[in-house]
Amino acid sequence: MIYDNAWVAAAIVIFVGFLPTEIWRWLAVLAGRRVEEGSELFLWIKGVATALLAAVVGRLVFVPTGPLVDLPLSIRLGAIAAGVVAFLLVRRSVLAGVVMAELVLLAGIWWG
Amino acid sequence: MLSGARAALSVPGLVLFASYLGFGGLLFGMGFPLLPGLLSTLLIWALPAQVILVGGLASGTALPAIALAVGLSSIRLLPMVVAIAPYVRGRRRNTWAELLCAHYVAMTVWVEGSRLLPHLPAEGRLAFTLGLGNGLIGISLCGTLVGYLLAGELPLPLAAALLFLTPASFTILMVRGSRTALDWLALGFGLASAPLVAGLGGGMDLMIGGVGGGTLAYLIARWLRRRAA
Repeated sequence: MIYDNAWVAAAIVIFVGFLPTEIWRWLAVLAGRRVEEGSELFLWIKGVATALLAAVVGRLVFVPTGPLVDLPLSIRLGAIAAGVVAFLLVRRSVLAGVVMAELVLLAGIWWG
Repeated sequence: MLSGARAALSVPGLVLFASYLGFGGLLFGMGFPLLPGLLSTLLIWALPAQVILVGGLASGTALPAIALAVGLSSIRLLPMVVAIAPYVRGRRRNTWAELLCAHYVAMTVWVEGSRLLPHLPAEGRLAFTLGLGNGLIGISLCGTLVGYLLAGELPLPLAAALLFLTPASFTILMVRGSRTALDWLALGFGLASAPLVAGLGGGMDLMIGGVGGGTLAYLIARWLRRRAA
């Protein structure tokens, strides 16, 4: 892999990860008063940012790596669904949702 | 500064620790070296961007496409910084101090800062933000390290559970953050795009799922708003 060398990996973190992220924080301080919350541009940015993150999370569930590869898709999807349901039922507690998702996953591995 | 650091030791701090525990496991699972992984927590300090970076690298996505995807995912930081800047700013403007404080703005600092900063005297807010931000980054660095080291030692079911922390917590956090039709549509399109575009290389999967799905969500939400008006 391209990132096996630690120096190459550090350079990638700086140029491919840090700079494309930090530039928005700098722009916000230097010129940010122009993007208003609720404007059409703001809404489009929000939609793209949400879908982008959801797409990456979806890939971790649908096309996983490492120790998750051998698990059937039904267990991975079931664990996510159980986590969301637990979150909604238990006072919108993120902790309850994550714990439930993990328990269902472990139960699926155990009896799967 | 100390009261800010104390505020970091809270439920959001615990959730952050668990999330970065999962990220550490993800780094190990992808074979990413430890120190650059820790550097990503310190410098990028936005878990979605870090997950996109490491996930993209592992699936062999071209570097410019990853940089574009990271940049697009981090645009959301701009309105967050704009919204919180008036609270951090004291009476006189100091651009360097503002740039430094802006680095700490990510989901948790933004939520906790927006909640706590308005109740503080104006002259103490800068120090509070630095204490809160450094405290949370410290917690997250510990989480990354512990997750990375644990992932190599754990038996298979627990290693799988550790790796699963990232998608599980992110899905739930996104459900929690969804309020408008736009949020729900973007979340649904993004998740549903994953199996459809999985075979496409070179970052096309992220472009279609993220930019395409997000734009579609924006257009449908705008149509719904116009129809309701």
